Amino acid sequence: MLPRTLLATGLRDLLRRPLHTALLVLGVALGVAVVVAIDLAGDSARRAFVRSADAVVGRATHVVLGGPSGVPVAAYRELRRHGSVQAAAPVVEATAVSDTLGRSAVRLLGVDPIAEGPFRDHLGGGSLRAPGFGRLFTEPRGAVLSATLARRHGLGPGDALSLRVDDRRLELRVLGLIETAPDRAAALDGLVLLDVGVAQELLGRGDRLTRIDLILAPGASPATIAAGLGPGLRIAPASEQAETAIQLTEAFHLNLGALSLLALVVGMFLIYNTITFSVVQRRAVFGTLRLLGATPRQVFALILAEAAAAAAVGTLAGEALGYVLGQGAVRLVTRTINDLYFVLAVGDVPLTAGVALRGALLGLGAALLAALPPALEASRVEPIAALRPSTYESHARRLLPRLASAGALLALGGGALLAVTDGVPAAFAALFAIVLGVALAVPLLTATFAARAAAPMGRVAGALGRIAARTVERSVGRTGVAVAALTTAVSVTVGVSLMIASFRATVVNWLELTIRADLYVGAPSGGGVRATPAIDPQLPARLAALPGVEAIETLRRVRIASEVGEIALGASDLGAAGAGLYRFAAGSDPDPWARVGQGALIVSEPFAHRHRLAPRGASVLLQTDRGRVRFPVAGVFYDYSTEEGLVLMGRATYERHFEDRAVSSIALHAAPGADLDALASQVREVAAGRTLLVTDNRSLKREAMRVFDRTFAVTHALRLLAVVVAFVGVWSALMALHAERTRELATLQALGLTPGLLRRLGLLESGLMGALAGLLSLPLGALLAAILVDVINVRSFGWTMELRLEPGLFVQALAVSLAASLLATVYPLWRLSRREVAAALRQE
Amino acid sequence: MSAARPLALAALLAVASCGGPGGPEPAPDRLDLGSADDLSGFARATAPIPLRFPEDHGPHFEYQTEWWYWTGHLADGAGRAYAFQFTIFRRGLSPGPPPAGPGLRTNQVYFAHLAITDERGDRHVFAERWARGAGGLAAAAAQPFRAHVDDWEATGLDAAGAVRIRARHADFGLALELAPQKPPVLHGDRGLSPKSDEPGNASFYVSLTRMSARGRIRLDGREFEVRGESWFDHEWSTSALGPEAEGWDWFSLQLDDGRELMVFVIRRRDGGFEPASGGTLVERDGTTRHLGPRDVLVQARAHWTSPGTGARYPAAWTLRVPSARLELRLEPLVADQEMRTSIVYWEGAVRVDGQAAERPVAGRGFVELSGYHAPMQGLF
Repeated sequence: MLPRTLLATGLRDLLRRPLHTALLVLGVALGVAVVVAIDLAGDSARRAFVRSADAVVGRATHVVLGGPSGVPVAAYRELRRHGSVQAAAPVVEATAVSDTLGRSAVRLLGVDPIAEGPFRDHLGGGSLRAPGFGRLFTEPRGAVLSATLARRHGLGPGDALSLRVDDRRLELRVLGLIETAPDRAAALDGLVLLDVGVAQELLGRGDRLTRIDLILAPGASPATIAAGLGPGLRIAPASEQAETAIQLTEAFHLNLGALSLLALVVGMFLIYNTITFSVVQRRAVFGTLRLLGATPRQVFALILAEAAAAAAVGTLAGEALGYVLGQGAVRLVTRTINDLYFVLAVGDVPLTAGVALRGALLGLGAALLAALPPALEASRVEPIAALRPSTYESHARRLLPRLASAGALLALGGGALLAVTDGVPAAFAALFAIVLGVALAVPLLTATFAARAAAPMGRVAGALGRIAARTVERSVGRTGVAVAALTTAVSVTVGVSLMIASFRATVVNWLELTIRADLYVGAPSGGGVRATPAIDPQLPARLAALPGVEAIETLRRVRIASEVGEIALGASDLGAAGAGLYRFAAGSDPDPWARVGQGALIVSEPFAHRHRLAPRGASVLLQTDRGRVRFPVAGVFYDYSTEEGLVLMGRATYERHFEDRAVSSIALHAAPGADLDALASQVREVAAGRTLLVTDNRSLKREAMRVFDRTFAVTHALRLLAVVVAFVGVWSALMALHAERTRELATLQALGLTPGLLRRLGLLESGLMGALAGLLSLPLGALLAAILVDVINVRSFGWTMELRLEPGLFVQALAVSLAASLLATVYPLWRLSRREVAAALRQE
Repeated sequence: MSAARPLALAALLAVASCGGPGGPEPAPDRLDLGSADDLSGFARATAPIPLRFPEDHGPHFEYQTEWWYWTGHLADGAGRAYAFQFTIFRRGLSPGPPPAGPGLRTNQVYFAHLAITDERGDRHVFAERWARGAGGLAAAAAQPFRAHVDDWEATGLDAAGAVRIRARHADFGLALELAPQKPPVLHGDRGLSPKSDEPGNASFYVSLTRMSARGRIRLDGREFEVRGESWFDHEWSTSALGPEAEGWDWFSLQLDDGRELMVFVIRRRDGGFEPASGGTLVERDGTTRHLGPRDVLVQARAHWTSPGTGARYPAAWTLRVPSARLELRLEPLVADQEMRTSIVYWEGAVRVDGQAAERPVAGRGFVELSGYHAPMQGLF
């Protein structure tokens, strides 16, 4: 379809205009890079998680789990004798923070070396024949870890390994190192292995296990086996926990992915703009080609081939850049996952085929899509018309109303999509439709506003002002696209910033409401909010007896099974006095706290959202140590500590249904006038020998906000990239604009426009464009924020928050738009001023 | 739990590494624990000590290795012949009893072997259990006597040696009551049985050489009432084998003239035998006579190569005790009685015929052949 000579013309043209080509490549590369970087981070995190889950679960088909106090050894004893159980292995697990291993979080895995064979290979060569094997059992503090992990921290056999688990400090000794094949090394990263009996003793677990791993005989019925277990125990597929955890982060990854796509959309403007420019400039070429017999389809194909060639180079560059950015992004993403979800060690970030392919498809697809309108435009060039001066602008002007109507339709469609669906992907699709729709209307708005601006600008800046406004209006085919790109980028920035600001304000309010005690005592843990550290149950009473302590409250956080999967359960001993600490959603029981005293539950907003519970009349079936019990739900409370959701019950109810007596955190209210510093040191004295953190009210809030801000670090980085892409867009539009107006500008110069005035004209034009983009992005940004806050956040995480329209952010948006467009003028103007007037005049 | 377990444990023990189902397995992890286990602190069998029963039927935690070994020949009402082996092994990882605690902390590992030979069916089935000595998974105690690994157990061993044994795996198993017909035999010097010339390379070794057995065995899921005769060995030691020893050939024979003969030959790496090899001849009235290395001549008349492991074992013997005018020929009931467990050995029932003082004698017995697949060094 496309003769080789014709193709050669197109490709040579790309080489002949390196700057233009570079812009094209840059547009694709930036978009692809952002998408690849975010995809890479998510992909690596997911794979690291699966790997570490495999390392911990091994070849088990099922696991037996218990309540917060674990599984008694007696259950293991019975399961070993069960006919349908091929193999069983006892496991004690804990999350620890290791001072020796660079203060990182590690998983402590207590296993029985002689029961491990069928399940995990970590103790591979271990045997009664292997020298020193018995020391795994007999060394009271012996542990083994992967050679890779040990070497990274300069550890060898015999060295001390210091860990903090719950409120204890463990001083372990490295017995030996596990040498493993390089491709499996990452799985063992962050894992410290001990004998199961040693682990029970060190962690004070008595006769309890965390779980029992099973390999069931083919065709065995887990339900039958479960029936023989105690009332508090259950049997689950081995993959269940890993799946729950992965599902938890899905919303997080989806949101990041959608934001990264926005960068690609902004990149599409750049591609469109650049290709359109090249089409306009080469009208004569196309006309000649048509005269020489090229068909419109061939011209169309030529433009697409050019775009594809540039996009291929851009995609390659984008993949490379994305790989580099991905190394940074994965750190940010992992930190957030560690803060919010679970301990994760991401060893390596390889560019997998899946990520590379997704990036390439998106890059090429976006480029071809953006090249489609200019390619159509080029194919419609009549052989004769092409030899006449450009009709692009007049054509574009005719198109403006149609484009705007299409945009309006698209945006309305987006709105309708929001109204009729309730999924997160649909909400993002709607968001994209609205952004694109508005962007399509921007050129018309640009023309309209620029025409209106001519008079006021004339009053302020004289003839130059009027010329500037008219130029922007007349070249709307060019300026409109630039303004649209800038508007999109800035409005996304505004929308995301407003969302974060609203979220932040909501969390600050919530922290003010809930963090009211003076001192908080907790155990440091590496497991984020999913961790359930256990503190000595004797401690609260001893703290309450301290002089200067008016009241204490305790909270126990555990993870238990329920009819909706594994959930986070809190047990609070707050009396009616503490009821004020919780704010309840509309529809909750009038006095939920009184009903909690009678054995009801209250659930957090994300929990109610996730599991579709009504604030009133709902109930949840929980697996307790006494069997499965259905609890009524008395209300839904606001909580921003975990998107997974939280179920809260009274301490007395908890103790009736569970054997566990530990607490996870203790809040102390000081008597009026008490010296908080003195009280804190008294508390530390009582807790001496335990690794407890004593935090005051203010530090705790500060820490919470630090985690909050860290969570949005990736989002901030993404926002910045969108602005960079937009900046390049404006720059390329101005370059095109000036190139097209060569003769006009030369005429003005010949008529006496000094270089200084010329610069002023350029700055006025781009200033007007920047101001327009800034102004247009304010309402669009606010709209985006509203969608993010009221639709996407609610659908993704179930959080209600109050939308805050921070005026400061709007000012910032205007400033950014102006700065970007003015800055983008510098190089085109410099180039322009170097041109010789006579030569420019001759050129036309 | 079923047959997958011994295989997997074999992989763990690196005696024979068995891959998972299908596909090339990645290189396994290697755990380097450095130097050998510290044997200091364990008692060594250096001199005879007075043995008292039932106390000494129980475990001796100050020694590293210990086993309770029951073998026997049985027949059901229809005259069908069976043989069985049931053993509980104890391995101390540090000297002394296991710590008393509610959890799984322990310094003891137990394993148990169960095998049934079906002469008419020409087959031998076997199984293995491993468990740590804690949490009620496995244990040994003297009074009341109970040694068990999961629900495989020996209980009620009294001063005289009567005991109940019970074990079942998938579709085979046994539940027998054994009653002694003779007093305990203390091998070697008052129960101290040297395994090499070096002092300390010895075990304490007590046997009940003839016990009546009755109860039930299970095969292919069917149960049979059985009666017969059994032999019990109880042995404990710390590193009994000398540095040159590779394995042993051990014989326990019950003759129809009312006598029993125990013979062991410890093979050295250089092809020779430990001079400590020997045995015990038990008279009809229970009196015993120690046999030195020159008193016993063992000659292998045939060999059998295991298709499962490739190990080559002697498979028929002529055994002479000239001083007792005994000449016996031993033939296995079934050729393949190899125990393909985490430690591979051949333990099988044999039939005996020959002459005692020129008069024909017959009998039944058990032969144990160790170290033919891999040296036993370090395990015993």
